[in-house]
Amino acid sequence: MTDLHVVALVSVGAHPTSGRPRRAEQDARAVELGLRLAGEQLQVVHAGDVADEALRAYLGMGLPRLTVLEQPPRADALPALVEHLANSPAQLVLTGSQAETGEGSGMLPYLLAERLGWPLVVGLADIESVENGQALVLQALPRGQRRRLRVRLPFLASVDNGAPAARQSAFGPARRGQLQAQESAPAVDPLLSVATLQPARLRPKRLKVVSAGSAAERMRAATRKATGGGGQTLEGVSPQAAAEAIFNVLLDEGVLR
Amino acid sequence: MLDTILQILLSAALGLAVLGAVKRFSMWRRGRPAPVDWLGGLMKMPRRYLVDLHHVVERDKYMSRTHVATAGGFVLAALLAVVVHGFGLHARILGFALLAATALMFVGALFVARRRRNPPSRLSKGPWMRLPKSLLMFAASFFLATLPVAGILPEGFGGWLMAVILAVGVAWGVSELFFGMAWGGPMKHAFAGALHLAWHRRPERFRAPHNASAARSSGLKALDFEDIAAPLGVGKPRDFTWNQLLGFDACVQCGRCEAMCPAFAAGQPLNPKKLIQDMVVGLAGGSDKAYFGSPYPGIPVGEHAGAPDQPIVVAGAGGLLEADTLWSCTTCRACVEECPMMIEHVDAIVDMRRHLTLEKGATPGKGAEVLDNLIATDNPGGFAPGGRLNWAADLDLPLMSEQHSAEVLFWVGDGAFDMRNQRSLRAFVKILRAAHVDFAVLGLEERDSGDLARRLGDEATFQTLARRNIATLSGYRFARIVTCDPHSFHVLKNEYGALGGHYEVMHHSTFIDELVRHGALRLGQSKASRVTYHDPCYLGRYNGEYEAPRAVLKATGIEVSEMQRSGFRSRCCGGGGGAPITDIPGTQRIPDMRMADIRETGAELVAVGCPQCTAMLEGVVGPRPEVKDIAELVAEALIEPDAPVKPSAPAAREVAEVQ
Amino acid sequence: MSDIIRRDPRAEWIARNRLHPLHAAMQKSDTRWMGPNGLIRKNPHALAAGFVGPSGLKRIDRSGAEQGGGQKRSAPETAVRLPLHLVEQPSHLVAVVPDMVGGRLGSHDRDVFGLARQLAGATGAVLAVVFGQLREDAFDTAGADRLLILEGDAYDGYCPEQRLLALRAVESGFAPRHWLLPDSRSGGGELGRRLAASLGERPATRVWQMRDGFCSSRAGAGREDLVQPTPRLVLASAECAEPVSDTRHEARQVELPAPVISHLPRMEDLGAVAVDPSQIPLAEAEFILSGGNGITDWNLFHRAAAILGATEGASRVAVDDGHMPRARQVGATGTWVTARVYLAVGISGAIQHLQGIGACEKVIAVNLDPGCDMLKRADLAVVGDSAAILQALIERVAAHRQGGRRDAA
Repeated sequence: MTDLHVVALVSVGAHPTSGRPRRAEQDARAVELGLRLAGEQLQVVHAGDVADEALRAYLGMGLPRLTVLEQPPRADALPALVEHLANSPAQLVLTGSQAETGEGSGMLPYLLAERLGWPLVVGLADIESVENGQALVLQALPRGQRRRLRVRLPFLASVDNGAPAARQSAFGPARRGQLQAQESAPAVDPLLSVATLQPARLRPKRLKVVSAGSAAERMRAATRKATGGGGQTLEGVSPQAAAEAIFNVLLDEGVLR
Repeated sequence: MLDTILQILLSAALGLAVLGAVKRFSMWRRGRPAPVDWLGGLMKMPRRYLVDLHHVVERDKYMSRTHVATAGGFVLAALLAVVVHGFGLHARILGFALLAATALMFVGALFVARRRRNPPSRLSKGPWMRLPKSLLMFAASFFLATLPVAGILPEGFGGWLMAVILAVGVAWGVSELFFGMAWGGPMKHAFAGALHLAWHRRPERFRAPHNASAARSSGLKALDFEDIAAPLGVGKPRDFTWNQLLGFDACVQCGRCEAMCPAFAAGQPLNPKKLIQDMVVGLAGGSDKAYFGSPYPGIPVGEHAGAPDQPIVVAGAGGLLEADTLWSCTTCRACVEECPMMIEHVDAIVDMRRHLTLEKGATPGKGAEVLDNLIATDNPGGFAPGGRLNWAADLDLPLMSEQHSAEVLFWVGDGAFDMRNQRSLRAFVKILRAAHVDFAVLGLEERDSGDLARRLGDEATFQTLARRNIATLSGYRFARIVTCDPHSFHVLKNEYGALGGHYEVMHHSTFIDELVRHGALRLGQSKASRVTYHDPCYLGRYNGEYEAPRAVLKATGIEVSEMQRSGFRSRCCGGGGGAPITDIPGTQRIPDMRMADIRETGAELVAVGCPQCTAMLEGVVGPRPEVKDIAELVAEALIEPDAPVKPSAPAAREVAEVQ
Repeated sequence: MSDIIRRDPRAEWIARNRLHPLHAAMQKSDTRWMGPNGLIRKNPHALAAGFVGPSGLKRIDRSGAEQGGGQKRSAPETAVRLPLHLVEQPSHLVAVVPDMVGGRLGSHDRDVFGLARQLAGATGAVLAVVFGQLREDAFDTAGADRLLILEGDAYDGYCPEQRLLALRAVESGFAPRHWLLPDSRSGGGELGRRLAASLGERPATRVWQMRDGFCSSRAGAGREDLVQPTPRLVLASAECAEPVSDTRHEARQVELPAPVISHLPRMEDLGAVAVDPSQIPLAEAEFILSGGNGITDWNLFHRAAAILGATEGASRVAVDDGHMPRARQVGATGTWVTARVYLAVGISGAIQHLQGIGACEKVIAVNLDPGCDMLKRADLAVVGDSAAILQALIERVAAHRQGGRRDAA
């Protein structure tokens, strides 16, 4: 498995509460998975600005170098990545599922797979074995579940939060690692000519959906919720009655399966 | 005949000792360079040995007197023996002096032997059990050999037999005391210790008066990131500075550190004495098989080995010690405070942690997450930086960014994000307002002081945070910084200096004490009864402030019933040094032990002065004494002025509204 | 709500007024129904059936009181028959591919249908594209005008490539004006993106609002919104729109004009891997049973977690005492959890713990001490002995499971 040629694609992320640049959580997990599979042989590629200091956080995971396909800000990274990967001996390309900055549509792995003509595994959690040009992989499903897939090499895999957590980024290797710039043709992303980015608005939490048809019924439903809501206390009841009340809540919430 | 043998023995032992000393010295010099005052240090050494060191030894009166007798007798006896028996200067008066010295030494050695008859567990055994015998042998043989010199016995008394017996005794004595001193025997502590005191890495610690806060040097030393060639922390024994290596060799294995170490008591795999001995193994090369003291709890002795160029921590197994040993430390400095040889355990531990964090990325527990948060959000919890002042949303705190100058800059600290600590902070604001203090806060411009990052070994993040805080502070005028967090207090006061930030910093207890003494606060009788006070390590041992908190409590009419371990011997709450984050398992928890100390006094309430201590002690399962910050106790006892004078800013606004 | 039968003049009025949109709903249920071939049938006799009056005579009441007022107002849950929205010749189609988790329409699916109805307008039709065996019959109330069922072994299990081929066949056969999929981890998010990449359409993802031809989607890590003209392909978040609630739709079955070609899959589904619920990361868990200092019988606790299918959590004290591993600690000093239901047993509720469960939707607490903070925070607080209640809960859930099995049999 050590001779597997693995490439991890990384981007610059943003911290969820402060918005400061950092290594993107999922991309770091992709690098982690890549390091476990290929060790120091792992190739890590970023399309963007070589001077971005946040990239050093990936180097801090123990990478000797990181290839940067130079792109102006807000350019479309896809053509440059396709060209780079098509000309590399990569057998497995790992990416995060979704960028933490910009559009973050999560389309990149799909488009890459489409352009390269490779199969795409979504939500890769682990690679169990690679034999005869086929890999046995585990796919992460919601609620921590796993599914086993057999997939042909070469393939592309996106990694989400079900993959193993990324190792710590250390200052020493981050300082020593090299960011190697490679020229690449810039491609303009047409999106921002029609779309605008604005600070996220808070979405109001939806009240209980009232399926009633008439205003009176909706009103009644709304007031019923207001009067009966929250903070019910059961004291001095039998364990059976208490269990029944708890059971009803669990059933209502649909967590009992 | 005997004289000749003595001359040969003495000169041989001395010669070998010099040879060993040179060899040992070159071992220390394998470490990285460190600037020392070579001559000045040597000149000051006797005073440091006799005064500063004696102060620490004096805490154990028995040992102090024993040591004075034995060591004093030995030094005198050794010098005189060289003169009398080495150079053959058989003056009668010298003979008597030598007799007196050896007699003194013999008496001292008897007490040493008595201590060794049933030694407490903190003392190392092995060769150390032999030492009193060697001392007795040395003293006795030289006493007997000198009797003729003093003219008490005739020359040639006892004939050949006596000569042989004495020769054997002297040979034993000098090989332990001269030869062994330089070749790694128990007496090494005297030789290395003397030089360690001369070229100590913190000469400030010897400033008079002893143990005054001015004579404290507790701030960690900064790493120089400009120097690309310098190692990031200590990965192998050679990465220590040479005088640190020398300091390890000074260890006398008395185990006072072990007795005080909270992690050791909690069964975590740390024993400061063993740690220093492991460093000695590392600097000289070998395994820890020759160690005869208490092991790291849960880790058997004899499975670890090292050499000057071998990595100290090897992931998996082997190496000189386990990483968990380093991460168990709460940096409470109890070991440093107790060490009679003034060895700097905490510096060494943090140096090794730096390597693990900066080079290996191996901070255990939630360390990596916390450090990432500090980098990205300036607080360890990863809270949105914009919420830093939410706790004071209704307090209308004056902001530095608006008024640019104030008498007092109130450094809030990361406790601002903790709901429990917000109570203490609000209490302190109430006090500040009651005393009409002209204060302001940095608000959203404040960042974590960097304490946690630094103790976890992330010097890079510490320096980034510190430099940005210093840049922020440099934009404002203020006379002093006051903070409720001893960790921020310590870092601002003692560790920002190396990066260019020099401030007058006060802990809130000191500041409240000052307010009380100047009559700025009217305090009533506190309702709290049966109170004890827990000294935070970073306020007490790190900065020598033991009095102000007690004075403040007294001013509110509280009678403090002291714990057995209080003041400079206060036991850590377990919250320092990132210990709650690395979370190394032991057999019990440090805060539980501290709570047991508190319960022992029968107190119903424990006063604290540190958000960490509050969190740790409140984490102990009830029923337990209540935990309250000093600020809370003072705020409760505050007698509000009858006609409340509003602080200037809101008052001005009121006028505007009237018009 | 009392059970007293009251007259409802408004309902009576609606029952008389055939033009009122809710007229049908106010009729006695068996007066109008849809016949087997889609025609609305009426039973004129039902209305005339009348009732037997107090004097024993048969009475017919045309005031509407019989229909409108006969129902108890306290029972809004009685199935109302909503007016049917018919689109015979749709001007355009909006294709929706619901997730159908467990073969049923989920709330996310219904929201997407609601959004699709907005896009379809009065003249367009919503086409539901469903894979596999149908276990759902509520497409009419969800808002599907047309229903395309793609059945066959090829769609069993995880087969995104095969499904993609089918969707491409839908694309060429029906040429929908819009494609709508739920942007979920349980299928739609992946299938939609595969479709987008395959069709070369740039989708709007994580769409949470659509109005006036523009849609707002969450961008990046959720700190920004992207506002753009609504594209052809939309992947919508949960609660992107109100589900259809006041109309009924035809859900007329349609067939693909050409069969779906299939080819050898490059990915093969080898089935689910058994995952121990206790191994699920706390932060990911949806339902957490958390134990604290008040738990005396940890075996019982573990048994309860297994039977409830809950992920285990613990308070700091329980971890410190060695009953649970550190990775299971919930709270500001442990793991911040986002469970939908958090069942705290024997936890008194230190501030750090309460901070850590701040994002939980429903908190149930069981504790002996009625004054503890955990009970104050809880949506359902139970004062009592944790062991007895856990035991009763285990029995209750076991009975439910058995009952469920009997029902299924």
